[in-house]
Amino acid sequence: MEVQFSLNEKTVSCDVDPCLRLIDLLRDELDAKSVKEGCGEGECGACTVLLDGTPVNACLVLAAQVDGSCVATVEGLSENGQLHPVQRAFAETGAVQCGFCTPGFLLATVALLRENADPSDDEIKHALAGHLCRCTGYQKIMDAVRYAAKLSIAETHAGRART
Amino acid sequence: MNYVRPAGTAELLSALQEDGAAIICGGTDILVKLRHGLVAPKTLVDVSRLDDLRGIEDVDGEIHIGAATNENEILKHPLVIERLPLLCDVLRRLAAVEIRSRGSLGGNLVNASPAADSAVPLLLHEARLRLVGPEGDRWLPVDEFILAPGKTALEKGEFVRTIVVPDPPAGGRCFFHKVGRRRALIIAIASLGMLIGLTGERVDWVRLAGGSVAPTPLRLRSAEQILLGGSLTEARIRDAVQAASRSVSPIDDVRATASYRRQVIGDLLERFLRQALNDKER
Repeated sequence: MEVQFSLNEKTVSCDVDPCLRLIDLLRDELDAKSVKEGCGEGECGACTVLLDGTPVNACLVLAAQVDGSCVATVEGLSENGQLHPVQRAFAETGAVQCGFCTPGFLLATVALLRENADPSDDEIKHALAGHLCRCTGYQKIMDAVRYAAKLSIAETHAGRART
Repeated sequence: MNYVRPAGTAELLSALQEDGAAIICGGTDILVKLRHGLVAPKTLVDVSRLDDLRGIEDVDGEIHIGAATNENEILKHPLVIERLPLLCDVLRRLAAVEIRSRGSLGGNLVNASPAADSAVPLLLHEARLRLVGPEGDRWLPVDEFILAPGKTALEKGEFVRTIVVPDPPAGGRCFFHKVGRRRALIIAIASLGMLIGLTGERVDWVRLAGGSVAPTPLRLRSAEQILLGGSLTEARIRDAVQAASRSVSPIDDVRATASYRRQVIGDLLERFLRQALNDKER
């Protein structure tokens, strides 16, 4: 069956099997390799993508179900060769070790900061609760999200000053 | 396997007439089952964007929740925040945001897990379900809906359209606790919810419901009967705790043993009753 949706702000059309999961379409057909399969059951968050702005597990969504929607992956975060502030924050605070969980954490953080520009530690933990990281012990990830909030606020102010 | 996305309830009803048709909404349970070969429908009927089954409104003083409304939408809705704080609290702890933004309230019930978190507050609120089938509509109290693990009262071709949640009696307090190995995103080892109205130490009314301690989520009516109308003395608390532990029928599984679950249900009830007494004294 035919599905058409926006992937990182570009329209894509694909002929998919009704059983195909979104994660398989993204990785195998559309080359969005940032989307990782960890558990395949919604426990680990590694396959998180933004579906119409909301984080979802791409292993628990059928490709057919995103027809007409907007999907965002880490491939679409940077602009003009510049890392997104959330990506910079993760890199600069050492919140990335093996990197397998990182795309999921990045997108969950992007969604959190869009809704809540200055989250408390409890709000950060709540927003990231669906993500497992086996390397960092999470402290560096907490640091990264706090720093990302500062960077995003600074960029918003700088952007306003320029315009 | 085929996939169809009906545009309204009439199309949904006719799609469900086909042999081997199964509803998919958020997909958080059925996609895992499909992958493990536990279900093999011929046609998946997607209701996740069916407007007839979505939305939250106040109808004659009761909150009507469309069965396909996702858990995130429910816990952020002003009506639910104001009038159903227990449901909000439970849904917030039901799973992480990635699951909650797909999983629906109707889906959590239809999946009929003994550990269906949302069933506990719905049992406490004495919610009703509007079922729609080829023969027409019928209403069912939520405690008659889940019959056994994975089995509901839905007949062939029927679906859940609306979950109606009455406000709790005025002046009460609510308690809920879920025991698991991780705070977020965990299938409960055991959970207990309580709504209670006290005058002094006397119990005017009380409702208790447990999850993961029997083949289905259930009301703990024998413990309710012991508490009802009496004063919360040490002896009555002890009797109610014993009745609660005795009235459940948990199993040993990968998450915990049956005897641990029995103990937990009693301990949670004792904790809630003491909290209710302490709050009153403040």
